[in-house]
Amino acid sequence: MTCPYLEYRRSDGDTEFDHERPYCGVTEEFVSPMKADICNDRFEFDHECDCELYKEHVEEVVGEAPADDD
Amino acid sequence: MSYDHYIDQRKLILTVATTGGVHGKDANPNLPEQPAEIARQVRECEKLGAAIVHVHGRDEHGENDPERLQAVNDAIRDRCDDIIIQNTTGGQSPYENRVAGIRTDPPPEMASLDMGPFNRGQHIITEHTRNNIESLAREMHEKGVKPELEVFNNGHLNETYRLIEKDILDPPYYINVILGPGTFTMPRPKNLLNMVENLPAESHFNVLATGPHQLPLTTMGALLGGHVRVGMEDNLYFERGEPAQSNAQLVERSTEIIDRLDRDLATPDEAREMLGME
Repeated sequence: MTCPYLEYRRSDGDTEFDHERPYCGVTEEFVSPMKADICNDRFEFDHECDCELYKEHVEEVVGEAPADDD
Repeated sequence: MSYDHYIDQRKLILTVATTGGVHGKDANPNLPEQPAEIARQVRECEKLGAAIVHVHGRDEHGENDPERLQAVNDAIRDRCDDIIIQNTTGGQSPYENRVAGIRTDPPPEMASLDMGPFNRGQHIITEHTRNNIESLAREMHEKGVKPELEVFNNGHLNETYRLIEKDILDPPYYINVILGPGTFTMPRPKNLLNMVENLPAESHFNVLATGPHQLPLTTMGALLGGHVRVGMEDNLYFERGEPAQSNAQLVERSTEIIDRLDRDLATPDEAREMLGME
């Protein structure tokens, strides 16, 4: 399963490309070709384990979630 | 090779590495990714004097795809006269993908052969086992593909000697001394000297240095009688803070320096002869 924050788009608002490129919704930046292998879980990569940005983001989101009442 | 070869005015083989597998157009929009634009830039570099082009394949998203090497090779052959095509067999994909670099039709005249693993970032490693390296070397030998031995650090020089002792490689050995960050040899002049002093007999060396080290250390390599690789795979900037406009811009600067140092560039045919490819 690919990273849920991975998108393919032509523009980041500043720069426009001829082809869609991998884009990270967490950093709001295009992703390098090597890093895109992790985002896509290619080969033996797993974004949940191998992407520090994903892990930090998930921890932040979980940290912001309201606590259970019980 | 040595300083004596510089004094003797041995010809210098200039390689251009246009694209690589690390950076994309998001880092520098002038970096060529698609076959036609790569071939256009290679043609400009060939006209300036590059004898070898080091090639990577990218898909339509700019991501690494060894299967696209065929299209890039075809485009270069269509547009260029005689430049030597050197395909990559490196990268972080499995062996089965990377071997595509020597299974194009026709096979390339040269291919890179990494002498061992190295790290890329926090989680990426280029996995090159001895078994895979030897398998690639043997298939290159069968196909008549000249390997460029990629020595990313001092330990990889040990591995080069090991392959020579196992009689897997044919002389002259073409060794690419790589200096840069992470698990590469630290980019310092003394380290380049040390690497050159420890090269095997019957070898030619080439210098690849990344980023701001490209200009000074490749120039030093030329003074030491070695060969030079430049291009946007290794360096996205012409000067600090000034992105390169093209690969030709970097090649042109190197040709001017090499000329001022009183060394002549080898033509592709002369490079073939020097490296025992004919």
